[in-house]
Order: sequence, then C-alpha cells, then structure tokens
Amino acid sequence: MKEILLAFFGSLSLAITFNVGRNRFVWAGLSGAVGWIAYSWLYEITGQVIVSTFVGAVCVGLYSEIAARCLKCPATVFSISGIFPLVPGIGAYQTVEYIVGNELAQSASKGIETLASAGCIALGIMLMSAVFRVMKNVKKGRKTP
Amino acid sequence: MHLSLLCRTELGMKTREIIDVAMKAGEILILSGAEVYRVEDTLARIFKSYDVEAECFVLLSGIFITAKGEDDEVISVVKRIKGHINDLQKIEKVNSFSRSLMVKAVSYEEAMEILNAIESTPRYRFSTRLAASGVAAFVYSLLFKSSVKEAVAALLISLMVFTVKENISRVGFFQFFEYFVSGMISGAMSIFAVKLFPEMNLYKIIIGSIMILVPGVAMTNGIKDALYGDTVSSIYRLAEAVFIAVAVASGVGIMLSIGIRWV
Repeated sequence: MKEILLAFFGSLSLAITFNVGRNRFVWAGLSGAVGWIAYSWLYEITGQVIVSTFVGAVCVGLYSEIAARCLKCPATVFSISGIFPLVPGIGAYQTVEYIVGNELAQSASKGIETLASAGCIALGIMLMSAVFRVMKNVKKGRKTP
Repeated sequence: MHLSLLCRTELGMKTREIIDVAMKAGEILILSGAEVYRVEDTLARIFKSYDVEAECFVLLSGIFITAKGEDDEVISVVKRIKGHINDLQKIEKVNSFSRSLMVKAVSYEEAMEILNAIESTPRYRFSTRLAASGVAAFVYSLLFKSSVKEAVAALLISLMVFTVKENISRVGFFQFFEYFVSGMISGAMSIFAVKLFPEMNLYKIIIGSIMILVPGVAMTNGIKDALYGDTVSSIYRLAEAVFIAVAVASGVGIMLSIGIRWV
C-alpha cells in the first residue's frame, strides 16, 4: 500500500515536470500506480524483472488507452508519466558507472538488462495501442459495410 | 472531398499558407517531444482537411514538406529544428487542434493565432517544478528501499541539482555540459552528506538525487520509434539517451574519485 502511494506521487510529480495539464495530472499519477501494482505483484511471484516490467507496461498501456478515450486526449499523456516508475533510467546510469569503474562484465550485463526492459516497456505500450486501433477499425468496418 | 475543396476556396487560403500552418504544428510537436509517427499523422491530417496533395518527411532534427500548389506548381519547405523537451500539454493541444480542423477548417490567420497561443502555453511555475523534482527524488529513493534519512538527503540534493540545471539551460549551453555539471553537483553533495552523517549509504543518495536526470523515458521513446519503423529518429533518441547517461555518470564519477582521495 505504501509503495502504491509512492508510485502515485512519483508519477504525479513527473507529470508536473512534463507539464501535463492541471485537470489531468491526477489521472497521470494514477497511471503510475497501476503500472507499479502490476509490476511489484508479479515480481513478488516470479522474481523476474523483465517479465514483470512487460506486464506493468501492458497495464499502463491499457489504463492510458481507456483514460485517453474517457478524457479525450492522446494516450501518451498518461503513458509517459505512467511508465516512469518502470523505466530503466538508473540502469542506464549504472551501465556507464560500471564502465567508469572498469567493471566491464557487469556493465555489459546491466546494459543488456536496461535495453531489454526499455524494449519491453515500449512493446507493452504499443501492444495495447495496436489492440485498441484494431478494435476501432473493426467497429468502423461494421458500421459502414 | 468536394465539400472541403469548396471550403478552401471560400477561405481563400494559398497552398503556401497551409504549409505554414502544418509546419508550425509539426514544429511545436517535435519541440515538445512527440513521437515521429504522431507528427506525420498530424501533418497528414492537416493537409487532408485543407484538401492539399502533400508529402511530409519528419525527422527529429527537421521537417520536409512538399505540396502541389494551385496551378500544379510544386512547393517544398524545409525547416531545421533544434532541441526538444517533454511538454505533454502542447502535444495534447496540437492534437485536438488538428482534429478540430477535420471537422471545420479555419482561415490562415485564425489557425496561426491558435498555434501561437499553443506555443506560448506556460509551464508550471519554477517553484512548483522545483517541488515536483524534490518529491520525485524522495519518492524514488523510498521505492529503491532507502531509509527516510537518505531519501531526505536525496530530496535536498535534487532541489539543488534542479535549480542549477534550470539556470544553465536558461543561459543556453549545450546539453552535455548541463547534465555533466548536474552529475558533478549530485556527486559532490552526496559525499558531503555522507561525511556529515556517516551512517547513510552514499550510493543510494546518488541514485535518488539523479532520478530526475537519467534518460529512462528518452530510451523507451527511442525503442518505441524503432517499433513504429522510424529507425533514423530511433537511433537519434537512443544516442541522445546514451550521451545523457555518459554525461551524468562521468560527472558523478569525477566527483567521487576526487572525494574518495580526500576522505
């Protein structure tokens, strides 16, 4: 519970830095909380960072697409703030830090992990937006046969 | 199609003016950190709503538009664009502007007025953003299992880092320098904090305080661009992310290697 609140405020403060509109930033914060719940729950069960990150990103994507349709604004507004607790910024820093400290093997493994989780997040977000686009097209196709 | 053609002649817009409107919209989008596919979509939507035959090619460093004019003459416009930050509010506004054009096209003056208003959308006040960056550092320190004391130290350091970074970017140095100096401050102040309170973990303070600098979102966006097929822009973003990480880490590293000699 404490962690969920933390993720909420973390995304909320990042939403302010990214200049999300006043009437939306609470929803952007909620997006971060949703992603973190999914991530930490799965991480506790499986103990695998990459899979948990992917599922977290899928949940953020789902939330963002739904919120975008309810609040009538692009989904990126929610997804960019929402993925912030998951993105491997610190991993990118640590990769370079290991190089500076001449620990090349550790740097390589950290670098690959960073790229993999960044890829997972991007894939998760895009998967949901693709699903929603397909659904929209199917609906349109039915209306005008 | 017939309807919108009628609409365009009624509005009396020249092709050049329509390109201007599209260019302005695209420029705002790229400067606010939008994805390349979104910019191309928006431009296509604007040209479609004015019923102009046009081809656009968008990179993060520039926009290229070629359109067919009134008497089949071809007009090309190239615009160089430098730098981009994340400003989701502007992306949202340009998006709804381009959608409203699909419903009802507006005249050149009106469109430019709307776009200029979007361009000058204010950011949050400096104090608000400062507080937000402090909260981010505090919260992420706690998420990374630091103690409350370490989190408070990270909060204070991140306030300092944010102030300095904002001032440097206002003066307008290049980006690498901005992040390098921020990293140096973070490293130096963390060593100072550990010297004052030796029970704190140096590494955890540093991690918390550079949370607002690290390029996680830039990296994810880079891969997103690649998945959409915009490979050039993707490499641009990834390279930028790598340079930011190098700048921050070398700033911190230099301060640490000096500081450890002193201790």
